[in-house]
Amino acid sequence: MEVNTGFSPIDIAVSGLRAGSKRMEVISSNVANARSTDNGNGEPYRRLEAVFKTDGDGLGGVILDEVAEDMSDFQRLLNPGHPDADEQGYVSMPNVKMPVEMMNLNVAARAYQANAAVLKRYQQMVETTLELLR
Amino acid sequence: MINFNTNIGQGVPQAGSAGVGMTKGKTAGSKSGFADTVKAAREYISKVDDLQQSSDISIKDLLSGKNEDITSVVSAVAKADMSFKLLVGVRNKLIEGYKQTMNMPL
Repeated sequence: MEVNTGFSPIDIAVSGLRAGSKRMEVISSNVANARSTDNGNGEPYRRLEAVFKTDGDGLGGVILDEVAEDMSDFQRLLNPGHPDADEQGYVSMPNVKMPVEMMNLNVAARAYQANAAVLKRYQQMVETTLELLR
Repeated sequence: MINFNTNIGQGVPQAGSAGVGMTKGKTAGSKSGFADTVKAAREYISKVDDLQQSSDISIKDLLSGKNEDITSVVSAVAKADMSFKLLVGVRNKLIEGYKQTMNMPL
């Protein structure tokens, strides 16, 4: 049984699992840096979003296209004592919104489960086929 | 889907219709016997062994920290597991056929 690469449901499901963990990585970075006012370039942390694309044309697994920055506005918070505050006393906070991240976390976890379910069910399908041999 | 391309069905006589993916490795004689099937199974064993070894290596790499991607281990193990199950199924069938032949009253 040759399991041909890039075509078999196993490889596709595994690529989905990989994409899921990458998405989890991005979300955890967003959550961890939700209060980071400095990203090293004098700007607050910018929310990241994982962008995926199909591997190959049409039928195939998924690969990470890029980790894009969310260019929406930073939140402004009045906190004059903060070292990163401007003249008016406002601090630019990251554009991470916790409820959105929590929703994305749920979606990512469910997508991961779905890929794992596909992998498992495919193995069961193959076993069903092999049952016919008996 | 999986490509069950291992000429294992060779020994089974087929009524007219040629099996899918069974053209490769067929011997010159049109009638292939039990021995050919066993030979094909032997070739398949080495393929299964390759998959088993690659899954072993990926597990070892994961445990020794060389590779941190657990999904590649999952895929290697799943492939090895599926191919091994097919091998065991075919082996059982082969032995069953052999036994039936041997028990034939002459």
